[in-house]
Amino acid sequence: MTECPECAASVESHDKVLGEVFPCTDCGTELEVQAVEPFAVQPAPKEAEDWGE
Amino acid sequence: MSNGFRLGLFTTIVRPEEKAILQAAEARGVEVVRLDDGELTFGLERPSGLPEVVLNRSVSHTRALYAALCLEHYGVRSVNGPGVLELAGDKVRTSLRLAERGVPTPRTVVALSPEAALKAVEEVGYPAVLKPAVGSWGRLMAKVDDASSAEQIVEHKEALGSAVHSVFYVQEFVPKPDRDLRVFVVGPRVLGAMYRRSAAWRTNAARGATTEAAPLTDELRELALRAADAVGGGVLAVDLMESPRGLVVHEVNPTPEFKALGAATGADIAGPIVDYAVEVGRR
Repeated sequence: MTECPECAASVESHDKVLGEVFPCTDCGTELEVQAVEPFAVQPAPKEAEDWGE
Repeated sequence: MSNGFRLGLFTTIVRPEEKAILQAAEARGVEVVRLDDGELTFGLERPSGLPEVVLNRSVSHTRALYAALCLEHYGVRSVNGPGVLELAGDKVRTSLRLAERGVPTPRTVVALSPEAALKAVEEVGYPAVLKPAVGSWGRLMAKVDDASSAEQIVEHKEALGSAVHSVFYVQEFVPKPDRDLRVFVVGPRVLGAMYRRSAAWRTNAARGATTEAAPLTDELRELALRAADAVGGGVLAVDLMESPRGLVVHEVNPTPEFKALGAATGADIAGPIVDYAVEVGRR
């Protein structure tokens, strides 16, 4: 478990993998898994102009 | 399955799609090497330790393309390869290729200056749609209803200042039902089709369109395979609209998302993607 860097809410690691992007359940900020062990998250990268499918 | 064979997974971020790919690979006993598009460097000599094939899932068209070019230089195949990314990642190139192959597609005019863009809109007629040549999820697309809005939109695009927005891709506004179609192709296989429905004119799932399974008719299957083949084939999502003159292909997506399609159709998408990448790597 770690803290959301935006709102300090608890963030559970569950079965998350390195690089996984998910929203903070409290504030909705998109977070990215920075490390699995120990579990660490950072704000997910912002969408760039050339991002897409 | 492993036998030293390794599948590279090249990503910007890990979304449900990439997670499903990791799980599908694990279920098949395929060893995966994670490659972060923000961390790798590419020299001119082939580095050691490269995987046999790389599944390119970068969300950045630029990163995906240059990585695929470097990997090709090293003799490593990518899914999708650089040729496919070049064609399908650029709407101008896609339209040219679809037209060359006789795949029905909306009427399109390309302009290279703001002045020419206004002429292009007049040539296409109102309403028209202005799209960036690169990019997706409906971002910065504009419906142009009249000459006055054309001038404003072109001026705004000019003000954005980037090279991408100096190319004006103008397409007829297709009077379609409140939905479009997406067909998922992996190699020679069509895995499923869905409707994307929205009361708004943009029907991207990323914009909140609702999705439901669509019947995979022979016509839809054949057209999707022809469109995929036109850009070089691989893992592709073909987007179509039901126009008054029949189905038209408006986009072929080379790094497609598939969470919504999997949920709508119940089809396994990640498994066949991994199987196809392994097959390409063993060729």
